[in-house]
Amino acid sequence: MSKHAIPQTSMVESILLQLPLRLFLGAVFVFAAYNKIPAIQSFAEAIKGFQVVDADTHPELIIIGAFVIPWFELFAGLMLILGLRARSAALGIGALLAVFIYALMHVILTDVSADCSCFGDENFICGSSVGWCQVIRNVVFLIPTAYLLVRGPGRVSIDQKLSNTDQNPDSHAYHPESLGNPVDADASRA
Amino acid sequence: MRCMHITSGLLSIVGAAFLFGTVHALVIEPVDISKVDLGDADAPVQGQGRREKPPAQTETQEDESQELATEVEVKDTGTDPLSMPFSPVELDVPDEILDAPVPDGTLTLRQSYRLWEEGAYFIDARHEHEFEEGHIQYAAWLASSLFDTDSDRAFGIANDMPPESTVVIYCVGGECDASHNVARRLAQIGFTDLRIMGVGYTDWVNAGFPTEEGSAP
Repeated sequence: MSKHAIPQTSMVESILLQLPLRLFLGAVFVFAAYNKIPAIQSFAEAIKGFQVVDADTHPELIIIGAFVIPWFELFAGLMLILGLRARSAALGIGALLAVFIYALMHVILTDVSADCSCFGDENFICGSSVGWCQVIRNVVFLIPTAYLLVRGPGRVSIDQKLSNTDQNPDSHAYHPESLGNPVDADASRA
Repeated sequence: MRCMHITSGLLSIVGAAFLFGTVHALVIEPVDISKVDLGDADAPVQGQGRREKPPAQTETQEDESQELATEVEVKDTGTDPLSMPFSPVELDVPDEILDAPVPDGTLTLRQSYRLWEEGAYFIDARHEHEFEEGHIQYAAWLASSLFDTDSDRAFGIANDMPPESTVVIYCVGGECDASHNVARRLAQIGFTDLRIMGVGYTDWVNAGFPTEEGSAP
C-alpha cells in the first residue's frame, strides 16, 4: 500500500457523495474565480471595503490578495473537480472559507456597508451586500469541505488512479476491480 | 506522512496562485486603491452643469414638489444659477440635519443640496436595483464594477459628463466605499472636480429633497 494512500471508500459512497460534492464545491469556486479574475480592480476595492486590512498602511496586502485569491480559488476548484490532490484542495478551500467567514463577521459586527463580491458581480444564493446569509452559506460550504478532507475524493478521481499505480507499479493500466479496499486489492494481486 | 502529503499539495496550490497572480499583475493595468483628491466642498459648480434652470423653475420639480411630504423652499432669484455666485440656500430642514458631521472632505447634506440646485452632475454608486427603486432626481447610475463588467456602458455614462464639470457621487452614506471607488475610476479618466456626499441617499430622502424612480441608462 502506498505511503500516500487515500482513504478507501465504497463505490456507492464515491458516486453518490464524494463525486457530486467535489463537482459542486469545485464548480462554485471555479465560478467565483471566473468572475473575479477579469475584474481584479473591483475585487481589490471589495477587499478594501471589508476594512479588515488598513488600506492606508498596507495597500500592498490588499492588492496581493486581490491577485492571488482568485487564482487560488481556480486551482483549488479545478483540483477538487478532477480529484487531483483533492484533500489538499479541500484543506485550502476550508482555510479560504474560514478567512471569508472571519471577514464577513468583521463587516457585520462593525456595521460597515460593504459588498461581498464573493462571485464578482454575480450573486449566488445571497444578495450582493454583506449579511448573515453569506456567513451561513460559507458555513454550509464548510461541511462538504470537511467531509472531503476526511474521506478523500473517492474512487472516481485521479488521486485514486495514482494510488492504484503506486500499489501496483508493474501495471500502468487502469483496473477498476483493484479500486476496492486494501483487502480487495491484495486479493486481486493474489 | 499523510499530513505532509496534504500540506505539500496545499503549498503547491498557493505557489501556483502566487505565480499566476504575479504574471497577471504584470500584464494588466495597475490596480489602484489609493484615495482620490476631492474637490473643495464649498466651491461652486465648475464647468457646464447638468441643468440650465434652477430646479424650482422646471416642470418636473413643480410636479415633484406636490408629492413631497416635506417641501423645500428654494430662493427663486429668476436668474440662471450657473451664473450666480454661491449664496446659502434657505431650506425647511433643521440645521442639525443639513450640517450633520460627515467624513473629512465629503459633502454635508446642505452642501450636497446646494450643488444639486446649482446643476452639478450626480452619480448614484449604489446597486442598480437600488437606483431603480429610487434615486436623487437627475442622478445617473454608475458603479465601479461596471468599468470591468461592461466598460462600453460605463464609459457611455461617463462621456455624458464633461470632464471639467462638477460630479457629486453618493451611495448609502457613512462608511460606504462605493462612492470613493467610482470617484477613483472617474479621476483615472480625467475628471477633475469630484465630490462625495458624506451623507447617504436615505438622508436625502429623509430631508424631503427631490427624488425619482426609473431604470439606469
